[in-house]
Amino acid sequence: MAVHSPVNGTTAIPWRGIKRRLSLLEQLKGCQEAWCPGEPWDREGAHAALCGTPAGSFLVVRDSATSQPGLLCVSAGAQNEDVLDFNIKCTGTVFQLSDSRLSFSDLAQLVLFYSLTRDVLAVCLSIPRWIYSVTEMNKDRLSELEPKTWLLTPPEQQTDEMTQTEPSSVMCSIQLTSSNGALCIINPLYLREHGDEWLTSRTTAMQPSKYKQGRRLSTTRTWAGAGLQNKRAMSLEQEPFAASTESTESSGLVRARSADLPSTPQIAAGVVLRRPSRDTPSSPPYRASTGSLPLSAPSTPGSLTPETQRHSSPLPQSPHRVSWIEDGVWLPLPRPSSSLHPPSMELDSLSISSIEEEQESPLLSPAPHHASAHRLADKVIHRFSAVGQALGGLVCPKKRLINRVQELSEKKGSAFAEAVKGFVETTLRRGIEPGGATGSELLQDVRASLTSLRDTLLDYPEIQALLDSITDLSDAEIDCLVERSIHKVALKPVSAHLYTCIHTSQTNAGTFERLQNNLKVLEKNKVEDLGGSAGVGVPDSVTVERIQQWWTSMHEEFSPNKKVKILLKVCKRIYNSMSANSSSGTVFGADDFLPCLTWMLLRSDLVTLQIDTDYMMELLDPTQLQGEGGYYLTTLYASLYYISSFRPRLAARQLSVEAQHSLNQWHRRRTLHCDQSRRSKNRRTIRRQACRDKGAQSSETEAGGKQEGGKESDSVNADESRQQTEALQTLREETVTDKGAGDQSQTPASHGQPETQEEEVTSKQEDRQSFSIAEEEDHRGL
Amino acid sequence: MALRELKVCLLGDTGVGKSSIVWRFVEDSFDPNINPTIGASFMTKTVQYQNELHKFLIWDTAGQERFRALAPMYYRGSAAAIIVYDITKEESFQTLKNWVKELRQHGPPNIVVAIAGNKCDLSDAREVPEKDAKDYADSIHAIFVETSAKNAININEVFIEISKRIPVVEAAGGTSGKAFKLGRQASESRRTCC
Repeated sequence: MAVHSPVNGTTAIPWRGIKRRLSLLEQLKGCQEAWCPGEPWDREGAHAALCGTPAGSFLVVRDSATSQPGLLCVSAGAQNEDVLDFNIKCTGTVFQLSDSRLSFSDLAQLVLFYSLTRDVLAVCLSIPRWIYSVTEMNKDRLSELEPKTWLLTPPEQQTDEMTQTEPSSVMCSIQLTSSNGALCIINPLYLREHGDEWLTSRTTAMQPSKYKQGRRLSTTRTWAGAGLQNKRAMSLEQEPFAASTESTESSGLVRARSADLPSTPQIAAGVVLRRPSRDTPSSPPYRASTGSLPLSAPSTPGSLTPETQRHSSPLPQSPHRVSWIEDGVWLPLPRPSSSLHPPSMELDSLSISSIEEEQESPLLSPAPHHASAHRLADKVIHRFSAVGQALGGLVCPKKRLINRVQELSEKKGSAFAEAVKGFVETTLRRGIEPGGATGSELLQDVRASLTSLRDTLLDYPEIQALLDSITDLSDAEIDCLVERSIHKVALKPVSAHLYTCIHTSQTNAGTFERLQNNLKVLEKNKVEDLGGSAGVGVPDSVTVERIQQWWTSMHEEFSPNKKVKILLKVCKRIYNSMSANSSSGTVFGADDFLPCLTWMLLRSDLVTLQIDTDYMMELLDPTQLQGEGGYYLTTLYASLYYISSFRPRLAARQLSVEAQHSLNQWHRRRTLHCDQSRRSKNRRTIRRQACRDKGAQSSETEAGGKQEGGKESDSVNADESRQQTEALQTLREETVTDKGAGDQSQTPASHGQPETQEEEVTSKQEDRQSFSIAEEEDHRGL
Repeated sequence: MALRELKVCLLGDTGVGKSSIVWRFVEDSFDPNINPTIGASFMTKTVQYQNELHKFLIWDTAGQERFRALAPMYYRGSAAAIIVYDITKEESFQTLKNWVKELRQHGPPNIVVAIAGNKCDLSDAREVPEKDAKDYADSIHAIFVETSAKNAININEVFIEISKRIPVVEAAGGTSGKAFKLGRQASESRRTCC
């Protein structure tokens, strides 16, 4: 399903075949005589023809005097057998409905627009489906069509169209609209009038109205783009595999949607692009059109995820009005995200940010669909603002970056591709052998490689330019974006191997054995026994099961950032469970969260969790470690550590020596990487600088940070036996960095040093250290 | 305006009201544009201090003795630690002293320490005299306030004091947390001078 995404839809799309398709507009124009007949058709004739036809069927009648289009006759539906008239104003070259202010440069555009959004009409205009199959080849026949043919609609389609005209969640259409930068405007009057209740109703209408989605078009410009969208892609000629079904569709004999359609396409739609399922005849055209949708950014195979089709969004129709204003390339297409992946999620603005509960649903089952839609309701305003943020290139450059990085990594001979290739090969060759590198050392090397890959990538002027063009993300968010793009090309191929290595390493270290043994000791404990306060709730069995599934999903992710996102979901769910039975206003902090998390871990696959935790701890972008993701990752690690090192009779202080040893080592590594990544470009310089600085006793904060960074780089792979020496160095440095906390947020590394001292460090040294602290405080004039 | 992220660690016995203090501090700062955090264990709040924005990233810790060994993970890299005790529980004040010792030994070297005697609304049940605590805080050059999370007394003051004691970033350096840009470290230009 290779899909090119031409900016204006004019580029050939490989799978679409050779024959050029006509745009829907061209198709409409081609058969204008059919829906806008001349003499002898008049209002009466049109009414007679329209009476009893499906809602939205229409004809345009020409004024007998001027022979200009003068009246739009629209059927109100077969049941009420009513035909509504709308005057068409035709001034010079501009066409508009008298009741509306929207003007169009020709009649076909007007008709097309009103087939997408009803504006002043009672229902959207309905365009027969067979028109989508018209190609260059058979367009000559269009002109021969007559109004009777135009209106000839099989009864099945009536059902179809009726379903589609039902109002549905506008939420999706907003997301959809934002997908490629098209600007959407929500009529605020509507919100004031109707609140957000409409969000919660009619959720099932979402699926049937997919069809409309595929047809969303601009009525004012970019028609070339319009031409590529739509059902044209499903015609007989171009869809050899789907010949039988689609030829039926092509001739307008669309089978009725089955009643259970709203649920079935969720399975069917995601898998096949071209081959329609017989049960869901209307899905294939939708998918096909999705494939041909012009994106503003290049898209690679696979960029259109199943969700793209699955959670298609309906075009909002009655009762509310939504207007779209195109913005460059516009033809809205469904986002890979959807009602279940709100933009806020998709923006990926740091895993630090909190996760909305409803985003979780698709991971497990389509069932929570309704529930999530309901939850959306009170968030509509919030969501709108999120969508607003999504507009204007936030999503697109992101995709563009990820795709570009992917391309670069595959481009033979490019420095980045070579670096990626080298990294993958080297990493796959490495293993865990007794006496060799430990798992965490291996991971540290991987992290260092990721950082250096990032440097290589950032050397590309075009990548810099791309990043510079992203103006609405913070640096941290851009950082995260770059990380993710690198994860995709570098980490994905090696993640399974890394899991194996961590597993071997932790098995050798006896961690898993301790975890399993202590699990047996602790698993019967209630949350109170684990330290939780009396009123705190724990996840019920359903939630436990769900969390276990999330852990599984977490394991399947290769990107540490995405793993952390799932971890945050789990934590949020645990919080919900904690406060489920408590009186409102109770604040649960870490005193209760850590026991609850531990309780949950005792009901999880500890081995896999340990592997994932190690993976995240070592590979997560260091800049994220201070945020929410870092906090809960730390807590997960702490909890696992608590379990694995649990010894009921051991005094806490004894434990702490061992615990601190391990944690300090970890911290040393991580702060090193943090420091490295922050200054990655200048790492070599820093190291040299550090050596010179050693004696210089520079009081500059920055120099202190560099110095440490440099020294730590040297010692990254060193034996643990060197630690003591380093501790001494650290002490020396402390006196150097007397203003050291100057940039706390930038160089956390400079604050982590004393921890690296082990208990063995002599008391004399400790005294010196305390002295230095006291001295510093004195400097501050306290 | 420069934004600085300041990691603040909360230490203290279980039940002294660590998270309540933070909750109070954060609750009035509801901003629909900023995602709320998922729970009270980790919360953030941005306040303006002089010509800087200080974003406090507040890390709560579990205060139970059994989790004590895990604390270093939480206070590493902290710009400040708020050690909370309960003025109605002498024991919690002793725990506080242990935390101070531990921070001196293992904590970040320049960490700003703030001591908060919580539940000052319950002065009838007071066990720790304010003067004793104040004298102790002075002796270790720590910030000292008595707070009441319940009545919102002195909560903001703790953080204002912390902001005051956070060392100022040199003006020209651009070394605040957010100032570096991918591949274009602000520190680059400064390196040449030393």
